[in-house]
Amino acid sequence: MTETDTHTPLILEIKGNSLDDGPGIRSVVFYKGCPLSCIWCHNPESKKAVQEISFDASTCIGCGTCREVCPRGALSPDNPGYIDRQKCDLCFLCVDACPSGALCRVGTPMSVDEILGAVLPDKPFFDNSGGGVTLSGGEPTLYMDFTGRLLTALKENNIQTLVETCGYFDLERFIDRVYPHVDIFYFDIKLMDEAAHEQYCGVSNRRILENFRNLAATAGADGKRLLPRTPLIPGITDTDDNISAIAGYLKSLGISEAALLAYNPLWHEKTDKLGVPDPYKDDSTMTTFANNAVLDRCRRIYTDAGITPV
Amino acid sequence: MTAPRKGISNTLTRLFLKFFAFNFNVRPRLNRYLRCDDGWLNFTFGIKTENSSVEQALTFTNGLVRLLKAYPPMPDAQLIFRDETAMMEAVRMPPNKLMVTLMENRMVTRGNLGYLQLFNFYLSLLLKRVQIGKLKKETKTENRDYNMADASRQSIDKRVLKQLSASMPDPGVKWLANSYLETYSLSDFPRLSEFLDIHLKTKAAICHERPLLLTDWFRKNGFETGQDGRPWTPELRQAHGFKYLMENRAPIIRTNDLIAGTTTTKEVGVVLYPDAHGTMIWGELLTAPYRPVNPYEVSPETIDVLHNRVFPFWLKRNFREWVRQEKDYPLCQKLDERFAACFLWKTVALSHTIIDYPRVLRLGTGGIMEEIDAELEQTPSSEQQKRDTLTAMKISLEGINAYAANLSAEASLLAAVTADAGRKAELEKLVDICARVPAGPCTSLDDAVNAMWILWVGVHMENTNAGFSLGRLDQWLQPWFESDMAGLSTEAEREAYIRHAIELIGCFYMRCTDHLPLVPDIGNYLFGGSSSDQAITLGGVTPDGDDAVNDMTYIFLKVTEMLCIRDPNVNARYHHKKNSDTYLKRLCEVNLNTTATPSIHSDEAVMASLAEFNYPVEHLRDWSATGCVEPTLSGRHIGHTNCMMFNMVAALEMALYNGYHPLMRWHLGPETGDIASGEIKNFEAFFDAFAEQLRFLADQTCEYNNLLGEAHQTLRPTPYISAMIQGPKESGRDVTRGGALYNSSGTACIGLADITDSLMVIRKLVFEEKAVSFPELIEAVRTNFENAPELLARVKSRVALFGSGDTEALEMARRITRLAHDSFKAHTNYRGGPYTAGFWSMSNHVAFGTLTGALPSGRLSGKAFTPGLTPEPHASQSILDNIRDVASLEPGMMNNNIAFNVKIVPAAGDPHEKVVDTIYSYAKTYSDLGGMQMQFNVVSSDTLKDAMAHPENYQNLLVRISGYNAYFVSLNRDMQVELIERTEYGMA
Repeated sequence: MTETDTHTPLILEIKGNSLDDGPGIRSVVFYKGCPLSCIWCHNPESKKAVQEISFDASTCIGCGTCREVCPRGALSPDNPGYIDRQKCDLCFLCVDACPSGALCRVGTPMSVDEILGAVLPDKPFFDNSGGGVTLSGGEPTLYMDFTGRLLTALKENNIQTLVETCGYFDLERFIDRVYPHVDIFYFDIKLMDEAAHEQYCGVSNRRILENFRNLAATAGADGKRLLPRTPLIPGITDTDDNISAIAGYLKSLGISEAALLAYNPLWHEKTDKLGVPDPYKDDSTMTTFANNAVLDRCRRIYTDAGITPV
Repeated sequence: MTAPRKGISNTLTRLFLKFFAFNFNVRPRLNRYLRCDDGWLNFTFGIKTENSSVEQALTFTNGLVRLLKAYPPMPDAQLIFRDETAMMEAVRMPPNKLMVTLMENRMVTRGNLGYLQLFNFYLSLLLKRVQIGKLKKETKTENRDYNMADASRQSIDKRVLKQLSASMPDPGVKWLANSYLETYSLSDFPRLSEFLDIHLKTKAAICHERPLLLTDWFRKNGFETGQDGRPWTPELRQAHGFKYLMENRAPIIRTNDLIAGTTTTKEVGVVLYPDAHGTMIWGELLTAPYRPVNPYEVSPETIDVLHNRVFPFWLKRNFREWVRQEKDYPLCQKLDERFAACFLWKTVALSHTIIDYPRVLRLGTGGIMEEIDAELEQTPSSEQQKRDTLTAMKISLEGINAYAANLSAEASLLAAVTADAGRKAELEKLVDICARVPAGPCTSLDDAVNAMWILWVGVHMENTNAGFSLGRLDQWLQPWFESDMAGLSTEAEREAYIRHAIELIGCFYMRCTDHLPLVPDIGNYLFGGSSSDQAITLGGVTPDGDDAVNDMTYIFLKVTEMLCIRDPNVNARYHHKKNSDTYLKRLCEVNLNTTATPSIHSDEAVMASLAEFNYPVEHLRDWSATGCVEPTLSGRHIGHTNCMMFNMVAALEMALYNGYHPLMRWHLGPETGDIASGEIKNFEAFFDAFAEQLRFLADQTCEYNNLLGEAHQTLRPTPYISAMIQGPKESGRDVTRGGALYNSSGTACIGLADITDSLMVIRKLVFEEKAVSFPELIEAVRTNFENAPELLARVKSRVALFGSGDTEALEMARRITRLAHDSFKAHTNYRGGPYTAGFWSMSNHVAFGTLTGALPSGRLSGKAFTPGLTPEPHASQSILDNIRDVASLEPGMMNNNIAFNVKIVPAAGDPHEKVVDTIYSYAKTYSDLGGMQMQFNVVSSDTLKDAMAHPENYQNLLVRISGYNAYFVSLNRDMQVELIERTEYGMA
């Protein structure tokens, strides 16, 4: 059991009217905190499980109200990213004082009931579109207890559920708390090479692949959909070797369809706001959108291996 | 008060007017315009500033123009500038921008607007070269000079559509194998493609046929009194004039058309109604061909006819001037002429109704005349008014029959000289059809469509072409479609017939584009790009409450999708319990493919909105959208549902400034409390102040509407449509006198979201959080937040808005709809009917926005309001919050309907079916939640920006304004920008 298993997570955002995180119209609950640390993480604000503060220079009107209320002198236009994160002790007085919303809390504690209250009004849209609620992150399985209760509540309200996971979780707890209440799993398989996985994602992939193998064995029979997904990161995951290896692995488990996600560089915009390092900032392959050739090449590999890319 | 010293501007004005007078006195080419066929045009005209630092006036007397030594107390027409700066600015402006000066109250008019337009015409004669040069430059700057023919072709060819097949058959469809008709496309109909091309490339031309024939008749037979010197019964006078017009107008059959008859003598004609606002174009006759937005062709003959023979006759015989003379220039009229608080449509039209097509098609006008005869027989001579009204109705129908007979003869002439066998046969068919209908009963779809069109031409010969609507055409035409089908024996014949039906309806749509309403340039700012909004209504339930969707519904949808034109304005009723998913999905697909139409109405909610009137349920179920979106009961109801555009925000501004309206610089309303001196102590007190100002404005506008109604009764009763609407035959009263079975007047209340958000800011920040004092907030608002950026940021980021899902904001919006509804409900119109409240705006959310200062919501001075009742763009990231909030308003408080715009942008790679399914889910859920009306604009800001830069590629790019469709390229710049700035909800 992980340390956070029984904690209440911070929620980054509940995004309504999402059309790309599962079938139909969905609300996506973004958790904060992830056991992986993928260098390309699309939601860098979701990596740490603790509250953070963000600053959006484009929203700031430069009134200086925040500087007047900061007890530690951590704010200055002279600081790179405005906030001196060594000095800042996250008291959030500045956030409360900011008139424009340029300074923001990242991560808010929410109860199951609060989340339910936020998504339930959209249930008629879920029902008319075959949609529902997606738990994403961050990593929902970091908080098995909470996630289990949330999913139970969603199912009690007849809401279709989808969990997006990095796969790095305690299988027993997962089967016990989460699995029964989920209709659809989006399961990330990023890199087949263990060393590369450690290098780029911070942990070994053994547990992930083992968990996937287990789910693949039961999901279909239990009436659940399991969709493996691979983000195509230039030069890291989109290599012929990696994609072929994933295809082979999926094939061996009897999986017939899998998602390939075209690279989207927009995450770079978020690193500045959070004041986190971005080693790929000046790397043109990492800051431009994927071209179709890459996607086509990877799809061909899947198709050749008998996997339908979606 | 002593007048300020006259300054240099006064001298310059004097010099200019001297120059003007000299030219007109000595140059015969100019001097000849000082007279008309009836003699010299004699009037006085003044120019001054508000504080009288400039005061100069001219008299025009028997061909001589003189500068007056003393400024007369009341010139026939005068221009009053705010100050000398405004005056000097106006001098330098191109004529189209001058209209904006007027709208923005930097210049005010007084007196007869016809004389003002006549003076403008004189100015344009004198300064023709300068004015045209300025307009050409504007046109170039705005990227509006390009080859229309190339642009049209390019735009048509660019359009490639994706098409779904129906996954389930629609239970109401009897004959169509594929209800979505996905195998047909425009390329299968070269005739329609050709008509579409003509429509997109042809510059509209002003047609003088109608006003000339009518004016000639009235001049000969008298207007106020007849040749015998006795006062005319207005109904009879109008009927005789109408009959003369219909007998003598040119019977034209457009080359290759399946439908005979045209509204004007031009390919695309602008119809003139000089008893309404026709004379407003007087001043622009020379420059209209060169104005940047929606220019008109005006032939020298037309200028001559209008100036010499038509306009002078109507100078004092129009709705506006009738009220000015007969009702002593009341306050409510002065208010209307300042543009900032309201626009009264009755100065232009008494329209927005639907004739009883099914009855006329079934009985023929002959059958109706027999009924009138029977009624006349039973009407004693003591009931002279009724006898006159009935007689007038009958005379009018004789007029329409004469026109049809002339068309038959024309078709015969054309057939005789047509070599092509196919076309000859078509013409011979028209010879036969027009000889039988509309006088006799229709026997086929071709009969019915031709009869409908001929009757429709008549409607616009009698009534201004602004918002007259066609009604439930799928319901009314289905019987002919079915009986035609039943007579066919082979599959191939039936296939060919379906194709013919599509083409025939296509021709009908294209016929509807043959005319445009007259839009003086100021109208390009007030109602930009609007056509005459001929609304068609599809689907819904039958009078018995059953699913009404049928074969013709899908044929109309197919035509709507293929042609993608702004007019007719297609409205679809969707009953979520009776109509099929197949139908709703198709509505969504057509909306996606056309980017803007049809507008979708939830049947149940719209009918619920009319509950308070206790209409018989079978009549209620027969409602149609009228004009933009408003419900009237088809064939039985004069609802003039767009009698006024009502700026609710003006009431808010007046509450903020204790009755003073800043832009009009006018202490207009009651004193409801001086905020600066702390007289408003709590939120409820402020709401009361707002309510009092709103009621005051409603009182004024209803009064003016009622006075204008009287003007219509006197100047232009409408016996022709009275003959085809239920009620007048029995009541013996013209529809303008309340003769229809049902009567009401509908308003468009503008600014719901802006007011809700402003009131939320006041309640939250001033009275609850006390984050700012009321005087401080008002000072910031007064100065456009220029010295209060922090407050502006706080206002915009810290208060929950309408459309965010916040229950308090929603309750506030509901409260405002109740206030508007109740304020109008307190009034009765001149026909004895109630006033209704609607929440849509045409394009006036832009125009009224221009005329409004900053608001507590943080909306800055001059910016557009949100369209209709659409929530503010930053209210929520999720469109679902918008949809839920709007659906949660109370239909009963919005009994003249709403316009809820949703702009969605599919990602480039999204599969067609997924996009349709998503739109379907929005529309279905909105309807399930009780929403009334919604319309999708499916176009990205990038596309709109590109269309602004390269209009030649986007002639057919349709956008939904607020209740009506327009071509994006036909809009003025402010409206284009507004559309680009509307929130765009990605579908990626």
